[in-house]
Amino acid sequence: MIGLWSVPLLFALPLSLGILSLLVVPAWRPRLIFIGLPLLVAASLDVLAGLATIGPHVYRLGDWAAPLGINLVVDGLAVGMILMTTLVTSLCALYAWVYLRDHPTSTTFFWPLLWFLWAGMNGIWLAEEIFNLYVGLEVMGLAAVGMVALRATPQALAAAMRYLLAALLGSLAYLLGVALLYGAYGTLSMAGLQEVAANNATTQVALALIILGLLLKTALFPLHAWLPPAHGGALTPVSALLSALVIKASFYILLRFWLVLGPEITPEFTAQFLGVLGAGAVFYGGWMAWRQHHLKQLVAYSTVAQIGYLFLFFPLVTNTGPEAQRLAWDGTLMMLIAHALAKAALFLSAGNLILAVGSPQISHLVGISRFRPMSLFSFGLAGVSLMGLPPSGGFTAKWLLLHSAILSGQWWWLIVLFLGGLLSAAYIFKVFRMSFREGPQIDRSVTPPLTLDVTALILASAAILIGLTAHLPLHWLRLGSVFGVS
Amino acid sequence: MILRAILAGLLSLGVIVALGWAVLERPAPVENLPERVASAMPESGVEHPITAVLLNFRSYDTLLEIAVLLLAVVVALALREAQPDRPEQMGLDNPLLRSVMAWLLPLILVVAGFLLWAGSYQPGGAFQAGSVLAAAGVLLRLAGAHLGWLDNAALLRAGLALGLLTFIGIGMVVMLPGVPFLTYPEAHAGTLILAIELTLTLSIGLTLLSLFRLNPPYADDPDDARTQGGPKP
Repeated sequence: MIGLWSVPLLFALPLSLGILSLLVVPAWRPRLIFIGLPLLVAASLDVLAGLATIGPHVYRLGDWAAPLGINLVVDGLAVGMILMTTLVTSLCALYAWVYLRDHPTSTTFFWPLLWFLWAGMNGIWLAEEIFNLYVGLEVMGLAAVGMVALRATPQALAAAMRYLLAALLGSLAYLLGVALLYGAYGTLSMAGLQEVAANNATTQVALALIILGLLLKTALFPLHAWLPPAHGGALTPVSALLSALVIKASFYILLRFWLVLGPEITPEFTAQFLGVLGAGAVFYGGWMAWRQHHLKQLVAYSTVAQIGYLFLFFPLVTNTGPEAQRLAWDGTLMMLIAHALAKAALFLSAGNLILAVGSPQISHLVGISRFRPMSLFSFGLAGVSLMGLPPSGGFTAKWLLLHSAILSGQWWWLIVLFLGGLLSAAYIFKVFRMSFREGPQIDRSVTPPLTLDVTALILASAAILIGLTAHLPLHWLRLGSVFGVS
Repeated sequence: MILRAILAGLLSLGVIVALGWAVLERPAPVENLPERVASAMPESGVEHPITAVLLNFRSYDTLLEIAVLLLAVVVALALREAQPDRPEQMGLDNPLLRSVMAWLLPLILVVAGFLLWAGSYQPGGAFQAGSVLAAAGVLLRLAGAHLGWLDNAALLRAGLALGLLTFIGIGMVVMLPGVPFLTYPEAHAGTLILAIELTLTLSIGLTLLSLFRLNPPYADDPDDARTQGGPKP
């Protein structure tokens, strides 16, 4: 059986390593990545190979069939997310390995939390079941909250507490929806729900609760208030992981729900409403990012803005033609992946710049271009993708979304795409303007270790490269979805 | 402020009405899951359907839930370590309490053992037995008894991790004949489930007890709150 070992290893291995990192002596905790990363990369590639040879399939845990037991789904979407997670988390782990040497108090528990976070994310990508998704959300969410709290300053604790409350409220709303669906249809499996779910009051209320809970967890405007302090205030590798991957998990669940129940049940009004919220996020997040004085807060608000683009998916895909729908799907997933790569790169390079000047203030970056060109280059490359300039992944994504909007006759989303790009340019260039200015403040900088620069650069380059080779990942991502046939 | 309260009240009312409406309008389920559970019971290795669902049919969910519990302790440990003060010795040093404890403790342990064993044929199991164990630990702490081995970080962590590690280990070992993760061979399913439950009971008990013990000292001692507010009476 293909993927017999690699599929469960994707979550069992990080869980075991998380436990091991609690038990081994402190010096060995970071070193576990040299066992874990190669194995997880191999498992991810093996899952991809399984998808390539036999196509989308399910993995039956405990060998029980779907409504009784729990199935895992291995389709293009899940494998795409797994590969994205493996790439981003591996690089962030390497970054953290070096970065945390300066934060000895935080290292003890960073590693177990990182492994648990990874297990939770892989659990979510693979889940086929709505309750299993909830448990995955809890594993990932609690690990993420713990990582925000690692710095243990009063601000970090306040941010973590706020994050915890938002995440719990979101989970509870989601769980209520799941309970309603189970009460009404007697099954938790998505495939089962797809067959039996009808458009009635119970489904509508359940979906409303699920959407609301997941919006809160994804931090879509205006439910975003917990995000900037949590993402902006955390340790740099933590910020990168949270912004690049963790918020994507709740969006991914929304996407899965839409694939299962959406097309028939989602009213036009809800889809347009989600799009409007997305547009609000793009404008508000961009504007707030431009107004920030702290570099990492700027990057965190940029995440608030970029989340907005993902939600243009819903209006572009509801009651539009098949071609527009396929373009919307492609564009949204490209946006999701490009943002994950670019945002991780942006946070890591921002962290490098902060290490170099020893201050989180953007105004202290004056003249840094002379000393840290490589950090700034990564920051710029990632910025290119966020602004949506060719040939980056961000450009390809916006191009696809733009075509979808034109095809479906919803010209108003074009305004969002254009103005959003301009706003991103405004806040990225705000950092650049400062760094190229000659000033008296700084005449030398600290040189961060090479690993920190290299990991950021690899991520930023990946965000550009994925735009050049977009057809390949997009082809894989369509496998097993309703868009897979074309 | 009043406006906010009114808005929050209206919102809650709306959610309640919507929930009530959704429950009342609920269609009759097409899928009959309890029936499926009943028909698969002979292959599950246990006699009680809840235990069969938790530790065989849907054991993956349980595995992740145990991970959540462990994670909670990890986060609590991280937060506790970030604070400079160590957990204080607490509790009433009362001879009466101690002698009552000497009577109660064996009883509690027997109850925990019974709950664990009962899980295979009637309501009970690792979660319940673990909670009872933890309650014994909490009582001991409140009575001021000093459990030295709980302060041994390595030993405590090993105990906390034991359940999940055994669970994952068994889940992996049973794969050797070429079946999916967590597929217990039918002949040994009962034994394997009991082994998992046994270790889980210990780890769950330790987890809950650790969460209690990791509370900062000021929350333990009501006198502390008074002294912080002003001079002692």
